Amino acid sequence: MELVIKDLAKRYPNGVQALGGVSLTIGPGMFGLLGPNGAGKSTLMRILSTLQEADSGSVTFGGIDVLKEKEKVRGLLGYLPQEFGLYPKVTAYDLLDHLALLKGIRETKRRREIVDYLLRKTNLFEARHRRLGGYSGGMKQRFGIAQALLGDPKLVIVDEPTAGLDPEERNRFHNLLAEIGEDIVVILSTHIVSDVSDLCRQMAILHRGSVVQSGDPQALTEQLRGRIWRKVVAKSEVEAHQSNLQVISTRRIAGRTLLHVHADQRPDASFEPAEADLEDLYFFAMRASERAA
Amino acid sequence: MLLAIAGFELRKRFRMLSTLVYVLVFFAMGFLAMISAGGAFSGVSVGFGADKVHANAPAALNGLVTIFCHLGTLVTASVFGQALHQDREARIAPLFFSAPIRKLDYLGGRYLGAVVFSLVIFLAIAAGLAFGTIMPFVEKVSFGPNHLAAYLWPYLTTVWPNVVFTGAVFFALAGLGRQMMPVYVGAVLLVIGYLMAGSLFGRLEHRTLAALLDPFGMTASRLITEYWTVSEQNTRLVPLTGILLLNRALWLAIGVAVFAFTVVRFRLAHDGTAERKASAKDAEGVLPPTHAPEVAIDRGGRLGLLVRMTRLSFRSTVRDVYFGVIVFAGILFMVIASLQSSAIYGTPTYPVTRAIVEVTGGSFSIFALILITFYSGELVWRERDAKMDLIVDALPVPTWLPFLSKLLTLFLMLAVLMLVVMIGGIAIQTARGYFHYELGLYVKLLFGLRLVDFALLAVLALTVQVVVNHKYIGHFVMVLYYVWTLFMPKLGLEHNLVKFGGAPDLEYSDMNRFGHFLKPVLWFDLYWALFCVLLAIASLLLFPRGVESGARFRLREARRRLGPALAAGSGLAALAFVATGGFIYWNTNVRNHYRPSNANEAHQADYEKTFKATEKDPQPSITGVDVAIDIFPGEPSLHARGTYALRNVGNEPVRTVHVQLADDLPFEKLALGGVERPTRSDTGFGWYDFDLAEPLAPGATSKLEFDIWFRQRGFRNDIGDTEVVGNGTFFHSTQLPSIGYAEGGELAADGSRRKFALPPKSRMHDLDDRAAHHHNYVARDSDWIDFKATVSTAEGQTAIAPGYLARSWTENGRAYSVFEMDRKILGFWSVLSAEYSVKKDTWNGIPLEVYYHHEHTYDLQRMFDGMKDALAYCSDAFGPYQHRQARILEFPRYQTYAQSFPNTIPYSEAIGFIAKVDDSDPKDVDFPYYVTAHEIAHQWWAHQVIGADVQGATMLSETLAQYSALMVMKKKLGVERMRRFLAYELDTYLRQRAFERKRELPLLRCENQQYIHYNKGSLVMYALQDYAGEATVNRALHAFVDTWKEKGPPYPTTRDLVSALRKELLPEHQYLVDDMIENITLYDNRTTSATYHALPDGTFEVRVKVVARKMRADDLGVEKDVPVNESIDIGALDEAGLVLFREKRLVTSSESEHVFVLPKPPAKAGIDPMNILVDRKPDDNVMRAVEAR
Repeated sequence: MELVIKDLAKRYPNGVQALGGVSLTIGPGMFGLLGPNGAGKSTLMRILSTLQEADSGSVTFGGIDVLKEKEKVRGLLGYLPQEFGLYPKVTAYDLLDHLALLKGIRETKRRREIVDYLLRKTNLFEARHRRLGGYSGGMKQRFGIAQALLGDPKLVIVDEPTAGLDPEERNRFHNLLAEIGEDIVVILSTHIVSDVSDLCRQMAILHRGSVVQSGDPQALTEQLRGRIWRKVVAKSEVEAHQSNLQVISTRRIAGRTLLHVHADQRPDASFEPAEADLEDLYFFAMRASERAA
Repeated sequence: MLLAIAGFELRKRFRMLSTLVYVLVFFAMGFLAMISAGGAFSGVSVGFGADKVHANAPAALNGLVTIFCHLGTLVTASVFGQALHQDREARIAPLFFSAPIRKLDYLGGRYLGAVVFSLVIFLAIAAGLAFGTIMPFVEKVSFGPNHLAAYLWPYLTTVWPNVVFTGAVFFALAGLGRQMMPVYVGAVLLVIGYLMAGSLFGRLEHRTLAALLDPFGMTASRLITEYWTVSEQNTRLVPLTGILLLNRALWLAIGVAVFAFTVVRFRLAHDGTAERKASAKDAEGVLPPTHAPEVAIDRGGRLGLLVRMTRLSFRSTVRDVYFGVIVFAGILFMVIASLQSSAIYGTPTYPVTRAIVEVTGGSFSIFALILITFYSGELVWRERDAKMDLIVDALPVPTWLPFLSKLLTLFLMLAVLMLVVMIGGIAIQTARGYFHYELGLYVKLLFGLRLVDFALLAVLALTVQVVVNHKYIGHFVMVLYYVWTLFMPKLGLEHNLVKFGGAPDLEYSDMNRFGHFLKPVLWFDLYWALFCVLLAIASLLLFPRGVESGARFRLREARRRLGPALAAGSGLAALAFVATGGFIYWNTNVRNHYRPSNANEAHQADYEKTFKATEKDPQPSITGVDVAIDIFPGEPSLHARGTYALRNVGNEPVRTVHVQLADDLPFEKLALGGVERPTRSDTGFGWYDFDLAEPLAPGATSKLEFDIWFRQRGFRNDIGDTEVVGNGTFFHSTQLPSIGYAEGGELAADGSRRKFALPPKSRMHDLDDRAAHHHNYVARDSDWIDFKATVSTAEGQTAIAPGYLARSWTENGRAYSVFEMDRKILGFWSVLSAEYSVKKDTWNGIPLEVYYHHEHTYDLQRMFDGMKDALAYCSDAFGPYQHRQARILEFPRYQTYAQSFPNTIPYSEAIGFIAKVDDSDPKDVDFPYYVTAHEIAHQWWAHQVIGADVQGATMLSETLAQYSALMVMKKKLGVERMRRFLAYELDTYLRQRAFERKRELPLLRCENQQYIHYNKGSLVMYALQDYAGEATVNRALHAFVDTWKEKGPPYPTTRDLVSALRKELLPEHQYLVDDMIENITLYDNRTTSATYHALPDGTFEVRVKVVARKMRADDLGVEKDVPVNESIDIGALDEAGLVLFREKRLVTSSESEHVFVLPKPPAKAGIDPMNILVDRKPDDNVMRAVEAR
């Protein structure tokens, strides 16, 4: 099944244009939605999850009108919100079991199997009878993914799942996501570039409510091959470079500053060619859209 | 630093929107209260005590400001709680905690800021009150001059210390409990603390304690002001002395201590959650199965899901500690309230089931309201508070599922509360040795009726939460709603069709059970239940899901959710709602007349304006009654047919006779002296004129014939007539036609009369109004009459009227009896019918009977004792008993009095039949005995001697009956046991006179004022016989009876009684009549020291120093000192309060010392230890006697 988003727009009552006509087509597999904070990622995710209204545009998922037929969507949906809490006095097992029931898994034995399976899968099995109030951030996040996977969803939406996780937790989380079948649509929103480069075969970059790039991350990165240059300069020289060249990123390294510059030719001999990666693409796309604005 | 933090807190508060809301609400509360006291709303009259007390009198302002600030406790709770909790909530706490500030600065600054803030916003109340007084549309007569001090003083004495104390408590709860919920629960418990102190207040001995323990100081200021006269209330500020000062100091100190405790215990540290964090590195050991198990998705079986969801949320709610706290507080309240409930003269009654359940009506329902208000918010916000809403809202469940589960959870909680009440009630009954549990009645009252009311409210609360979609504003709206319900009747909104959840007040009677009163209540319940179905549908449509909260979106979403099934359902419910409403309206407003109380006042005013002119028309008097009364308990209905014999007792011919019936009462026949139907009718006023063809000459006789059915057509908005019922009909002759203009139907209150441009009127005719001496005050339209009644009722019931049973028979399944009276009686009689058990006895050959409800056997013997002792005493002291029989008949508790008719005394089931008198407890008053004695005495005082229809009339009947009963008691119990009784009479008199609506009058001229003719009358007559001797007083009364027995017109007045008394009294006692009967005299006697020491012979010499003070009061309570030079008791009491010694000694206004000798040391000693004199401060009459060194 394919998720097709057309001209989706949303403006908040305070005037913020959260989405300004987003169009995307998302096939099965992992889809990365990359963008800085405030780009409109969560708004988009919540609209896809039936929790928010769009002002205009359409979303269909395999023939279902996502904006209208909310009940149908919810039956196919697994959703992990960006920020969520869990009843602190309930155990993981009880809550997951309850949510499973609400997802329509009525048969007790089956439900126990699936709950056990997911708890094992998310490495919470040992801690399943502990109250959720005592869970660490990573454990809560894994519980979140467990509940999102309940009931055989066809559309899984995970909003900034790795924010606040330590590298080990994050790794584990990636493995978990990677295991979700290739034949369902998984949308992962994040502002961490490596999340996408590690996991996704499709992606889009959202900036200020608009899609500024979309496609296969590798193909997109390929476009930049040979046009990214690096140079380490003193801090005092940064400004001069920025006014003359298309600097897409700066990073401090041991007291000096590493510049990545986009240019069709090497600007001068002091620049070295750099291997274009997704991060370069990300920054390039955003700078490009800012210039266009 | 502390001040900087306080300033920051203040600035932040004043920038918040809620501050504006608080200020506006407080201002509005004060403003509305004041303008309604000033008569701004037509038909609304709010009084804060007596009519003559200004609405802005210092005492009234004190009461208003403190009560409103008390309500404001909910706001202070939020202010103080948030002052600390905001940091945790905003997760900014670590920033403050890590800043270099001292704990005391941080906490003290926040606390100080909140205290100042609360005081400032509370000032809005005073501002609103003051603003109300200067409105152009208020009546100036309701107000006195405004004094700034009167507005600010209550803040200084009461509000400020309260804020310090309650604030410290809330601060501690928020700081140490680390949540807001304990703060709100604490606020609730403080309110209960207040209720507890208030309910302890009823017991005389506990007053000082209750005043001290009341954390809000209201009981203390009430204790100080309760005996204040009108003029004192208008001029004096409540002095910050004595118990009030002590109370304020105590609670201020407690407040400071609580704050100090908070400072010590508060940790400026991030709350490391108690539970240890699970390690992220949990075992990787168990390898997950590679493939997920197959799942079978099944979206059917929603009902099972509903049950599961409800169970889950119910379980988590009732396990909540706060639920437990509220329920526990409720039980505590119930236990305390049940101790006080329906005690009469401080003597308990049996805890019958209906009484126990009633305890949980009234103020107890506050617990249910709190549960409903709080938990409707908690439930609606449960997912969002836990931040699980996004997960849960995206689940594939229909919206009605979570909605219904929340509603059911609320219902279940209330059911649990009812169950707790039931168990608590049974426990209370058991603990008090009462084992007649009526489980069925518990279930009907609690689960059948009370739970329905609460469930309706729960739907409303949930709807409010859903619509408002903001938890605290939702709470606020509910509180506003509760306040609004208090104001509704004042705005003329009294119809149960517009009062949410409204239904007639149903009173359960042991005799009549629910009677026919239940059916209309069920109709109203159905009506409101249907309304609630509509509300529930509306809130289902608006039930929040997802993150959108804009009104436009919610309405669009609602339209989307309104599927065909729901639309059809709501259409059906709306149809049924309208149909039920229409049916009710047809009953209450078409088949019956509905008149809200303000329209009622207008009606009364119209009556006076229309017919007052006929008042002086010559009218015949009723001289004989021959009636046939058929009672049909099954329907219930009553058929009255009969004939009045009439005679023109005046000097002028009667041309037109005015016959008066109840408003709108239809009749089959009303014919007078050959005029077959009324010449003119005004059915709305029940007014019928008969123009006689031949004027009725003086001395000539005529006849009035009537045939009237008394039956309820359908049902009314109120509970309707309670006289004709299934079991326990108590039908008064006043329901039957009367002759002439009825002055009693006029508006009485000064304010109401002003409103309708009627001149002020006196409550009774002047004592010396000669014309009025020609009527008696009980039945104006008749003199002494012949009486005969044929009564019939359903078989199984007994119907009784005054008189002697001449014949009885059964016919067509009905029991008939004929009652004939062998002598003339007053034109005031009644008929009763019920399923009676009878107990019989005799006194001096006269048969005595008590007709009672079979369950109520507890006090029958006391009643017989009362009858015998009173008959013996009165016939000995005042002359023979005029009848050959005496009987008591029980009637349902719709009225709570006993009433004496010739040889027949109807007696309410609520007052004497379930008394639980402990004869071994000297504090218990045997009130079934006492009330019986009082009613028997009325056979002399009313039925032998009846006063003229002028001032003082009730002294001749009520005061003398009271005196007779007191003497009967004194004879039985001994003079020592009378002290407690007199203390009650004195207390009631002093308290009630402060609430006098017009003016206090001397006993001689009392205008049917109960606190004068009962309470003061008891004291005065007791004092008279104590000073002059019982025999002397009785000699005078005997002579008075001899002169006036069954005489009139003209009828006797208090002047005749006074001259009879003066004839017998010694010269040195004549001043008692001046002081106590002809004037209002008060004492303020006190003891300044009381000591004793042992004498060599083993006895004890007691020395007391006393000061006497005597005042004459005018009719507004302005007092003037008069010199004292008279004999007053000097005496001593033992530990139990019994009199050890008492002797009249000469005392004066200056201190005098008195010495006497006792065989044992006294507990207390002093002046007037029995409270025989009307003493404004009875507490300081005696003081604890100390051993002299």
